[in-house]
Amino acid sequence: MTRYAFYVNAELCIGCSSCGMACKNQYDLEPGIVWRKLYPLSEEIYPYKDRAFFSLACNHCDQPACLEGCPVSAYTQREDGIVVHNQDACIGCRNCLRNCPFGAPRYNAAEGHVEKCSMCWERIDEGLLPACVQACPTTALQLIDLDAFDGSETVQYPPGFPNRPDIAPSTCFKLPAVPVIVRRDV
Amino acid sequence: MQEKTGNTNIRQTLGNQVSRRDFLKMLIAAGTIAAIPGSGLLRKGVGASALSSGGYEGKEAYQIFHNACPRNCYDTCGILSYVKDGVLKYVEGDPASTFTHGGLCVKGYSYPRSVYSPDRIKYPMKQEGRGSGNWKRISWDEALDTIANKILEIKEKDGSLLGLGMTKYSGNFGITHYGVEGTMSSLGYTTRFVGTPCWPAGIDAQNFDMGNMWCNDPEDMAQSKYVIVWGANPCTNSIHSMKYIYEAKKRGAKVVVIDPVFTQTAAKADEYWEIKPGADGALALGMARHLLDMKLEDKTWLEENAEGYSEFASYLRREITLEWASEQSGIPVENIKRVTEEFAAVKPATIWLGYGLQRHVNGGANVRAIDAFVAMTGNIGKVGGGARYGHLFTWGFNYNALVQSAPEGSKGYTGKTGPMGEFDTGQGGEAATYTDRAFNINKIAQEIMDAQDPPVRMLWVANKNVLSQDFDRNKIIEAFKKLDLIVVVDLFFNPTVEQADIVLPTTTLFEDWTVNVSYWHYWMSINEQAVAPLYETKSDIEIASALSAKLNSIKAGSCTFPENIDPKEMMVKEFNDGIYSLFGIKSWEDLKQGARKAKLASSASWSDNKFGTPSGKYEFKSSLAEEYGHTALVKYKEPRKPYATYRLLTPHLKYGLHSQFQNLDWMLDYNPEPLVYIHPKLAREKGIADGDMTRVYNKLGEVKVKASVSDIVPVDTLLMYEGWYGANNAFNVNILVDDESSDMGKFKTGAPGVAIHDQFAEIEKA
Repeated sequence: MTRYAFYVNAELCIGCSSCGMACKNQYDLEPGIVWRKLYPLSEEIYPYKDRAFFSLACNHCDQPACLEGCPVSAYTQREDGIVVHNQDACIGCRNCLRNCPFGAPRYNAAEGHVEKCSMCWERIDEGLLPACVQACPTTALQLIDLDAFDGSETVQYPPGFPNRPDIAPSTCFKLPAVPVIVRRDV
Repeated sequence: MQEKTGNTNIRQTLGNQVSRRDFLKMLIAAGTIAAIPGSGLLRKGVGASALSSGGYEGKEAYQIFHNACPRNCYDTCGILSYVKDGVLKYVEGDPASTFTHGGLCVKGYSYPRSVYSPDRIKYPMKQEGRGSGNWKRISWDEALDTIANKILEIKEKDGSLLGLGMTKYSGNFGITHYGVEGTMSSLGYTTRFVGTPCWPAGIDAQNFDMGNMWCNDPEDMAQSKYVIVWGANPCTNSIHSMKYIYEAKKRGAKVVVIDPVFTQTAAKADEYWEIKPGADGALALGMARHLLDMKLEDKTWLEENAEGYSEFASYLRREITLEWASEQSGIPVENIKRVTEEFAAVKPATIWLGYGLQRHVNGGANVRAIDAFVAMTGNIGKVGGGARYGHLFTWGFNYNALVQSAPEGSKGYTGKTGPMGEFDTGQGGEAATYTDRAFNINKIAQEIMDAQDPPVRMLWVANKNVLSQDFDRNKIIEAFKKLDLIVVVDLFFNPTVEQADIVLPTTTLFEDWTVNVSYWHYWMSINEQAVAPLYETKSDIEIASALSAKLNSIKAGSCTFPENIDPKEMMVKEFNDGIYSLFGIKSWEDLKQGARKAKLASSASWSDNKFGTPSGKYEFKSSLAEEYGHTALVKYKEPRKPYATYRLLTPHLKYGLHSQFQNLDWMLDYNPEPLVYIHPKLAREKGIADGDMTRVYNKLGEVKVKASVSDIVPVDTLLMYEGWYGANNAFNVNILVDDESSDMGKFKTGAPGVAIHDQFAEIEKA
């Protein structure tokens, strides 16, 4: 069985934001709406501001809170774990925005519906990578099969990421490293 | 359109591509990317039949075109454009290039928005009162009529067209865009703003040392055993280079980053050195001295391939100590010793010299010192080695659009001119009856103010946003008052357009034909017209052609530019047998199958140790350097004296390429406002909290900008990213950057560069 998930390797991530814009480009997102973006780690987690990031979109949870709270069944979860939102069915009630602790669903005010990362299931079904993963220049963002993935170097709930085993987000993480640093004495 | 898919296939990534490029396998952890296309079966929920996310529609839905990003960037990515019903739906990287490997960057992926942005300039317009915003739509005929009559009036008044000035730089590096220069040549002899703000000190330095600027293929960095990234920030400015550095690391190489700022690249290194800005030469000379002390120089290579080495070694022994280098640079002696020894202990080892480190009054001298260190370790000419800076090895096009003859009887400047920029393949300096008048591109304000006999009366601006990117902006606005007519060709209403009398709307790269190569990697990409030009836009050469027709209709024989051109044919005319043979193709049409890489004898430049210098050797002592007013020997040169309390650095932004991209609403979603980065200690002293508005000022002017309190910058340094305009914010870093020259650049580009990073300012809470 295949269980798709994103692997966010912050050690390799260079903060280039290509993933987020590749997504806007693929879906022609309205100005003001982003499905994927870089979240800089706070200085308590990584000691230098704006120098380490988690690239996050929808975490395609095993127990999706968005799906559970949707009154019109606009959300579906595929066998391969991808949580798909159907914009045509959505009535724009925004229950999912309130239920999702990760801020993945976004409200498109112009069109009156919610939208979110679809993991590019249309591309995956054709054997292609999601737009964001294909865009990553350092393989810091990858598509993985959780059932085959060696997670020994990864973290499921890193500092700064909501610790919600109850809804079981699928995204896996690797933490960033800090170099030896020589600074001037000024 | 018959086309292979441009998408990176999952199976390819896991399968045969991996065996071809084994480093990718090393990056991808086991278990990543399942090879099984999704089943579409549902676990939870209903309504699967109506799933819609508005994205990918299946490869049959699109026509695919090849495009090329023409911005002033190391990576110069090949693009696949997915077009449906004549509309550009989305873009991705050309997978034929191993360098970009199917990827673009945050800027490249925003391209569809730039084509369809509501902010594009759609029609020719004229402004009543510069800066007034009182724009009125006019026809192409009226615009060209006004321009043509002004040109003829200048010619009548002055007897020449030296009163017509043209400034153009890197807004679009597509080869046919040299038709802007061609436009001027086809009118007669004009005033040209020549040189380059970006990298000329380093170009000259490498020419003095080795006889050309010629870097290794960046892809061979994967084979380096030691990498020093010195004054470059590829995580922001060459994102596709990073995988080679990572690969070198995976294979055991150490990566050291030397930079005044804790950049994103520094954060990815094994070791980071916060060097004092402009002290790069002192540090490199200290490292060279330590090589001598430890007898670590590659004596065999130096004996066979170097000129002036013993004199350089005596200079090091006589005048350079590690303690002095440490004091100048801020790097402890122990670190200098250890990294020098580590670098010399392995081969190949390489240094990537960024353009930042040469934007100083001693920038060229600093580059020569670093080159010398690499040469002493015998790493020049080695695969995975080298002093990497840039190259123009693949730029041997015909420049057909550029080469135009002056109308019969044209009069011009009678002095001798030098090269007209780094891409100039012409015969600068040779005797001619008349030539163009060359002014320093980096001192546009002063040159316009000082110009006499004749003064500059009209300015043509294309591929350049002068008011955002040129120096001492307030002085430029003053100088522009001397001009009768300013014509700007552009895509968006940027700050230069704000100061124009007439603006002409131009095409995006997707609406035009051209061809592009890089000054870093060795790939070439064709740029096909993917969609029809929107609105009333015209390409640079179409504008030239229309202007020519207008001029000749008013007064026959006024312009030689062809009056009827086909942009595709103009692109085809740029190719020649040299390009075909270098890239191993039979015709330009081969590029429709994807980007092609030059067939290199070796990935290493200078692999045969035959240098382009007068002696044919690597020159630690260059008589040519002396001819251009520098020391013949590689030597320390003093940095600029501070003119205010804090160092002001204005490097490139990842969300823009100079002033392009950052204005798009899509980009503002990720980068909403400009910031000044200030160290927590200095912020405390000044009573500035994170997010406070500040006033940053110096002798030239002031800007108001929000503070980001962060120790990515040193305590004595302020950092603001360049290139911002728009969003109701008058912020621009070049209000605070003067036009002080760097030491080198005159030899190969016609004018010295600018000491962009030798700037200083004060800060206070606003």
